[in-house]
Amino acid sequence: MTDVLGQLPHRFPFLLVDRVVEREIGVRVVAEKLLTAGEPYFLGHFEDRPILPGVLMIEMLAQAGGFLEAEPLHGKAIFLAQILDARFKGPAFPGDRLRLEVKPEASFGGLLRIEGTVSCEGRALCTAKLLLKKM
Amino acid sequence: MSDLKLRVKTMIIERLKLEGMTPDQIDDVAPLFGEGLGLDSIDALELVLGIEQTFGVKIEDEAAGMKAFKNVDSLTAFIAEHQPA
Repeated sequence: MTDVLGQLPHRFPFLLVDRVVEREIGVRVVAEKLLTAGEPYFLGHFEDRPILPGVLMIEMLAQAGGFLEAEPLHGKAIFLAQILDARFKGPAFPGDRLRLEVKPEASFGGLLRIEGTVSCEGRALCTAKLLLKKM
Repeated sequence: MSDLKLRVKTMIIERLKLEGMTPDQIDDVAPLFGEGLGLDSIDALELVLGIEQTFGVKIEDEAAGMKAFKNVDSLTAFIAEHQPA
């Protein structure tokens, strides 16, 4: 079982990966985020109709991308450098079990480009390519 | 301009979305990064992908890549040398 807290420096309320289901370093990661009704962002997005903000799906993919790295990210900095071709295909709600799937596309000069999909029960909710910069 | 050099310049314009620019306007020996064409490290990764997909040439070694990215002439020579037969 992958140690999520050991790999990522993110913490509540911004840790957006609950567990890693499959992990082949440098090749592919499948992780999960279980959305509960108690997530802080549901308070205001929106008052009577909680929907996961789309940008957080991008952040989920970026955090899942952190598990492509062999070494823990504590003390290192990984930044989002570019968001490419992000498509939001459907909403996510409290109770959803989100599947975060990422794989690397290319890397050069400390930059890693990944492509990822957020899905729920086989439905793709968000696809995007992200450029991550390692310092 | 050689056919390969023209294709390299066209690839640069298309991959980096240098809209309104023509191959003639890219200097053969001006630096691609920093001054000259003014590309940044994000563009470098885009070029690595473009070179791989357009010419079938992989750039895995960063030092070799940066040498090739010096200018259009060096990049054309690098691709000519590494292109699969």
